[in-house]
Amino acid sequence: MNRVYFEDISVGDKISAGSKLVTREEIIDFAQKYDPQFFHIDCEAAEKSMYGGIIASGWHTGGMLMRMMVDSMVNNRAGLGSPGFDDLRWILPVRPGDVLRFESTVIEARKSASRPNMGIVRAQVYLFNQNDEKVLSVKTIGMMLARPE
Amino acid sequence: MSILYWEDFTVGQVMEFRGREITEEEIIEYARDFDPQPFHIDPEAASKHYFGGIIASGWQTAAFCMKMMVDGYLAKSSSVGSPGVEQLRWKQPVRPGETLSIKAEVIDRSLPKSKPELGFVKFTHTVFNQDGDVKMTMLSSGMFLRRPSALASAEMGS
Repeated sequence: MNRVYFEDISVGDKISAGSKLVTREEIIDFAQKYDPQFFHIDCEAAEKSMYGGIIASGWHTGGMLMRMMVDSMVNNRAGLGSPGFDDLRWILPVRPGDVLRFESTVIEARKSASRPNMGIVRAQVYLFNQNDEKVLSVKTIGMMLARPE
Repeated sequence: MSILYWEDFTVGQVMEFRGREITEEEIIEYARDFDPQPFHIDPEAASKHYFGGIIASGWQTAAFCMKMMVDGYLAKSSSVGSPGVEQLRWKQPVRPGETLSIKAEVIDRSLPKSKPELGFVKFTHTVFNQDGDVKMTMLSSGMFLRRPSALASAEMGS
């Protein structure tokens, strides 16, 4: 597989991938470890809440998005990690039985001023459910290696 | 124990909570599910990488932060979730054997016009290790129910 370097990325590049079925067991398992609020772990109490049933932790949804991005693009890139992200919005709850996919569009690609062997790539990423509703929106930031001379 | 409502959070309020030691096993377990890059799941490959050893997925660091928030104050609050995170920065990788803690500071509060039963609280959360090194910063909002007595008096127009 050819490695993707910073020079291979252009503004407007779009990747759409993933087909992740969300299960109740995974929602509860994640939330027990990292986000044990009742609307993530207690089906009965969640039914009486404003959500009307159990929903995934937003951090679980973020993790599922990361997994789909790793499988479809991150692992073949000359990536140098990420300093963070901006404007993460949990737009709609993610529920058991949902099937998630993502769409990532490059909105900025620039060479680092201080490190010429590195570039910074920003992307607008959306996560959709099986009804094509946006459930999550985030602006990601990735650092990538420039193609070796 | 009394429940924390929207009214109980005040701008400038600071809360600090200690987490626990992070293990290599849980870093690898998380990353196999959510972030299977070599420097998160393969100790040998990670030792040759420029991180010089296995490090936690940044998304797991955020999840550790969430757990400390839940244990620290959300579980005893009227939290009904969060609309999102304005800004999150991974300052340094989290490594096995580190013990994390968080500092939460209330920086803003607001009441939406459309939903009188709840209010927003904006926080900065900072994640530290045992030496006080900053690992992550996060600017985010939480939604909390209003205190029932405050709502009742608002409805009566007093």
